[in-house]
Amino acid sequence: MKGFTAAFLIWTLISLNGGCSQAWPTHTACKDGSLEVLYQSCDPLQDFGFSVEQCSKQLKSNLNVRFGIILREDIKQLYLDITLFTKEESILSYSYPICEEDLPKFSFCGRRKGEQIYFAGPVNNPGFEIPQGEYQVLLKLYNENHSTVACANATVICS
Amino acid sequence: MMPTTRLAGILIPAMAFLSCLRPESWDPCVQVVPHITYQCMELNLYKIPNNIPTSVKELDLSFNPLRHLSSHSFSNFSELQVLDLSRCEIQMIEDNAYEGLNHLSTLILTGNPIQSLAMGAFSGLSSLQTLVAVEINLVSLEDFPIGHLKTLKELNVAHNLIDSFKLPEYFSNLSNLEHLDLSNNKIQTICHKDLQVLHQMPPFKLSLDLSLNPLDFIQQGTFKEIKLHELTLRSNFNSTDVMKTCIQGLAGLKINRLVLGEFKNERVIKHFDTSAAEGLCNLTIDEFRMTYFDDFSEDDISFFNCLANVSTISLVSLYLKRLEGLSKDFKWQHLKLTNSKFEHFPMLELDSLKKLVFTANKGMSTFIEVKLPKLEFLDLSRNGLSLKSCCSHSFWGTTRLKHLDLSFNDIITMSSNFLGLEQLEYLDFQCSNLKQASDFSVFLSLKNLLYLDISYTRIQIIFEGIFDGLFSLRVLKMAGNSFQDNSVPNIFKALTNLTFLDLSNCQLERVSQVAFGSLIKLKSLNMSHNRLLSLDLFPYKFLHSLQDLDYSFNRIVASNRQELQHFPSNLTSLNLTGNCFACICEHQSFLQWVKDHRHLLVGVTQMVCVKPLDMQGVPVLSFRNATCQMSKSVISLSVLAVLVVSVVAVLVYKFYFHLMLLAGCKKYGRGESTYDAFVIYSSQDEDWVRNELVKNLEEGVPPFQLCLHYRDFIPGVAIAANIIQEGFHKSRKVIVVVSQHFIQSRWCIFEYEIAQTWQFLSSRAGIIFIVLQKVEKSLLRQQVELYRLLSRNTYLEWEDSVLGRHIFWRRLRKALLDGKPWSPEGTADAESGQHEATTTI
Repeated sequence: MKGFTAAFLIWTLISLNGGCSQAWPTHTACKDGSLEVLYQSCDPLQDFGFSVEQCSKQLKSNLNVRFGIILREDIKQLYLDITLFTKEESILSYSYPICEEDLPKFSFCGRRKGEQIYFAGPVNNPGFEIPQGEYQVLLKLYNENHSTVACANATVICS
Repeated sequence: MMPTTRLAGILIPAMAFLSCLRPESWDPCVQVVPHITYQCMELNLYKIPNNIPTSVKELDLSFNPLRHLSSHSFSNFSELQVLDLSRCEIQMIEDNAYEGLNHLSTLILTGNPIQSLAMGAFSGLSSLQTLVAVEINLVSLEDFPIGHLKTLKELNVAHNLIDSFKLPEYFSNLSNLEHLDLSNNKIQTICHKDLQVLHQMPPFKLSLDLSLNPLDFIQQGTFKEIKLHELTLRSNFNSTDVMKTCIQGLAGLKINRLVLGEFKNERVIKHFDTSAAEGLCNLTIDEFRMTYFDDFSEDDISFFNCLANVSTISLVSLYLKRLEGLSKDFKWQHLKLTNSKFEHFPMLELDSLKKLVFTANKGMSTFIEVKLPKLEFLDLSRNGLSLKSCCSHSFWGTTRLKHLDLSFNDIITMSSNFLGLEQLEYLDFQCSNLKQASDFSVFLSLKNLLYLDISYTRIQIIFEGIFDGLFSLRVLKMAGNSFQDNSVPNIFKALTNLTFLDLSNCQLERVSQVAFGSLIKLKSLNMSHNRLLSLDLFPYKFLHSLQDLDYSFNRIVASNRQELQHFPSNLTSLNLTGNCFACICEHQSFLQWVKDHRHLLVGVTQMVCVKPLDMQGVPVLSFRNATCQMSKSVISLSVLAVLVVSVVAVLVYKFYFHLMLLAGCKKYGRGESTYDAFVIYSSQDEDWVRNELVKNLEEGVPPFQLCLHYRDFIPGVAIAANIIQEGFHKSRKVIVVVSQHFIQSRWCIFEYEIAQTWQFLSSRAGIIFIVLQKVEKSLLRQQVELYRLLSRNTYLEWEDSVLGRHIFWRRLRKALLDGKPWSPEGTADAESGQHEATTTI
């Protein structure tokens, strides 16, 4: 009886730890011989799917990416903030408007909360060679009310 | 033992389980605005919570597995205006589900896989204006039971499975409908009969969005005589041919705004042939917009002739390289060309054009003069343009220009002061590189200008008359420039109507006292991100309209009372964040001032200390005056303590003998002796003995009893006997007053010799010498013994000065107290000593 109680207690404590925390699993966006991109959702509300078609040290311009998510917010306007960290220090910060109300650029602009979106297509990135090292990239998508639409902590490992 | 274990076994997991549950479980919804707005998103609710007040107006139940809406589900919430049921896994909505919601204006059903929608599902919604039914597996509008919603303004059925554009008969009831979003459905063909109902609807009211439908055919004459407000067709056609037939199918349409194009990520037509747009000639269009077509055919832009009567044209991201051959008789009033690929500025000659927006065109650097006589609004921002001589009316062939935006360009050289452009009200040069702007009064003729932005234009302001002539100016933004000596000179003297001034990021170190003197209407001033060292408010003292002052991100350590007393009278907001505050006691008054004015300090909680190191990052507000008071009180306490100690020391010194008495607790006894001392002196010195010695010793503290021959010797007894009996026998000590007369007096020498003998016999060190006056050595030598004693022993010397007397009496008293019994025990000791002495004799 005692043994059973003790076992039950331990099990509860362990499951308590796992049950209450909301850390999303780490996914792989792409992996190649020299480049690996991992990401983890930092939006407490949801996880999402993301992948990059090509994955090479010599980053091509206009990369094809896939992105799927169920929206938690309307996205009449959508903005992307990218912050690049290396060794815990922010070295680059970039903000980019993705959706604007007047003549929106992408077909997913103006989608509604609760709607599922799937984007497969090129992104407007410049091509460059990634220097060797490990980088942290914080990507944050937010709408006109500054509500988070999606958030990801990505790790780029280039060897 | 067993029951306790069992109890613990139940209780602890239960507590663990409860702590794991989110508190929302029993009080689920977040109250955003009490009694009005409730947020219950994603709380795993299986039914509509019943603890929400009936007065609720906005209710968000999205992302809960409600699954099924039975009738009268919301009858408790009759005040409801906005109901969000996004992604609630609703498969079935029964009749009268929303019955009673007579005030509901917005119903959101996005993302529900509805399989069964009862015909009376939406009954009762008598005020509904917006219905969002996106991604609900809707197959046709025919079955959608919304015909009775007469108040409906917006119907969004995008992202469904609708394959027919047949607008059902009930649309004739929806006379208020303004927006119908059918984008991202499966509509392929549009037939004549589909739109017949539109003839029964109010003209030019409805906006239709058909984007992302795979259209391949529009029957000729379908849109004939149809009057729409807006029609959007983006990413609908998979080839130029299809597009051509479909646009021809639009013939006869009268429309306020037509939007054609694709999305950046949904490009289907690889090569856009302008012939596809020829059908536009058969439409009556007020505003035409075209966006995201790849490889726009360069040669033939004849289709623009079909758009000759359009008033507004937007061509965005079209990869246009040329726009020539437009007739000057075109009725175009507004033209927008954004994100194109012009290599040269288009030779535009349009008589009616009032507004030209030509922005973000890459690959163009040269500018040619255009002739647009009616132009009032010109936006040439973000083009990387270089202008060698700016700016005069000849450039754009207009004298009516009111709005000119040349921001985010390359080098713009100011060579003329806006000759012929006196009507300008808005002028923006932001982030272009302005040359020669500080050489002369560039803006002298712009007396109507209201808004001027020269932020980050790399001007070094030297010339004081730079803003002369701008009498009407309301807003001046000049952040990111620099000043000679990093100080603001008196450049604003003409700007008497200015209400907003931005001087941030100008490397300012000082502000001249007179710089802002004439800005009597200034309401908002931004001085942030400079290098100002102190918050000197004197230059703003007379700015009686100033409400908002931004001093953030400077180098202010603190400020003194004098500087702060010139506080502008109407200031309601002051920003001091990002400064280098030193939270030390020296600036206590400033830190207190911050606390007192926290109501008008913006982001006061973000004001943090930079110094000292242990306070780094700590909010200024949490600086406690007590720390300073503590050190002050420590200082005052220690000063007080030193004072007290010294006073006590002085008192102790002064009342040493009183204390000795007190410490002894009892009056000291004289033991065997009647007298404390027997005084041997010459009768010549009697005056001194009576007036000084007797007075000081017998009347002072402690009182000594002296044996004096004129007073204490018993008459009728021989002098020698008196000397021995009364003098030596009954006295503890002997005071010898040595003077000239003493040595000459026989009796004195006799007494002294007896005293010496007596001292020897009783073994008492009892003789105290007082040298009253200096005695000649030759005379003294006559008394060999005395001479020897005086040269060996310490004697007291009388000195007739205040300090000398004081020391004299102190020493004498001490000498007399020596060997005096203080307590009874002491007395006993003395007595036994006496006994011993006596027995020795």
